[in-house]
Amino acid sequence: MSADDASNGTACGYTDYADGEAPESFPKTGDGATGVEADIWEALYEIEDPEMPVSIVDLGLIYDVRVVEQEGDDGEPETLGIVEMTLTYTGCPARDYITNDVKCAILASGVDDAAVRLRFTPEWNVNMVTEAGREALRDFGLGV
Amino acid sequence: MAASLTPEDLDETQRAAIEELLFRMADDEYVQGERLIEWQIYAPTLESDLALANIAQDEFGHARLWYDLLEELGHTEAELIWERPADEFKHTTLVELPFEEGDWADVIVRCYLFDSAERLRLESLVDTSYAPLADRVGKALSEERYHLENAQSWLDRLTDGDSLEHVQDALERLFPHALSLFGEPEYEAEIVENGFRTDAIDDLRVEWLETVIPYLESLGLNVPDPDDAERPTPRGRDGTHTEHWDELAADFRKTYNELEAPEPARIGRERA
Repeated sequence: MSADDASNGTACGYTDYADGEAPESFPKTGDGATGVEADIWEALYEIEDPEMPVSIVDLGLIYDVRVVEQEGDDGEPETLGIVEMTLTYTGCPARDYITNDVKCAILASGVDDAAVRLRFTPEWNVNMVTEAGREALRDFGLGV
Repeated sequence: MAASLTPEDLDETQRAAIEELLFRMADDEYVQGERLIEWQIYAPTLESDLALANIAQDEFGHARLWYDLLEELGHTEAELIWERPADEFKHTTLVELPFEEGDWADVIVRCYLFDSAERLRLESLVDTSYAPLADRVGKALSEERYHLENAQSWLDRLTDGDSLEHVQDALERLFPHALSLFGEPEYEAEIVENGFRTDAIDDLRVEWLETVIPYLESLGLNVPDPDDAERPTPRGRDGTHTEHWDELAADFRKTYNELEAPEPARIGRERA
């Protein structure tokens, strides 16, 4: 690329998360979830992105929610709530805040233990935002 | 080979091999980020202040991607970054060198040499057999794309005018250090046999040289002959470093030590 290209307005090409398609079966919204898993989804909807007033579920960050049984430290069976999620950007300075909030949301559903696992496949892109999320972002003043 | 291996599947040697791979990647990114932020208020345009800030943030993000995977294998952030002996860091000496004062050509040449190597390394991991790594490589590659474009765009500009000589000086100073980018790691045989990386390190080194030398020569630069270039004694990859690394390591750990080892995980506030 020459310097001229760089100064001739190709800069917008770098907001490349605006491109791409939502992979099949994404975004995950918890549709059809039941029981404790549905409770976890409901609590996740309450968590907003630290920079924008939109739920992390509507942003398309949640990739999976499940509850499994495991053996606790005392040898008794216990329930573990697992959320798999992504971040829009690996350098996200609010990662600890968000994952901490998610952990709290899982525990609020009454499970014994919580795990948050970060995944970066599929790569998040703006087409993974739900319709409700788009509306919230437009209200916030972002063109999506 | 499909990515199928998880941390639980690894025997002792495989685990050591994966760790060797991850430490190099994480330490390279972390130290490159540390040096880039020194430029924060000195870049020649506001746009390039922002570009370097953004690139440094990406490098820290990627360092975290790889340190995360080391944590998954049982390490803690404290021992990985804040308390690890400086002579156990595996980054290339290229990224630890201080910048020649006010030498913009230095930062651009360094970024080009590093980012071109980084891209080849990540591409050689796209089809890794180690599932946690496979999950993360694509994201890092996408975010790295702009780094190389930024470096090349500046190189084109700088070599087109009076700065050619500065670029040549920086290249001669930095290139011998860059040769350690693809130095053979411990456990290289295991890394390749197990499909953790799908190209041998020597092949990556050849590919990198065949990429950077013709490009730099096309800009009117003389690239030192890799076989004749005087190699610095510290190799970086084996834990030996220049004297500048001790100083940088002491600097970036100063606050951590003053705060008496804060728990990183507790920084987050509880809002849910």
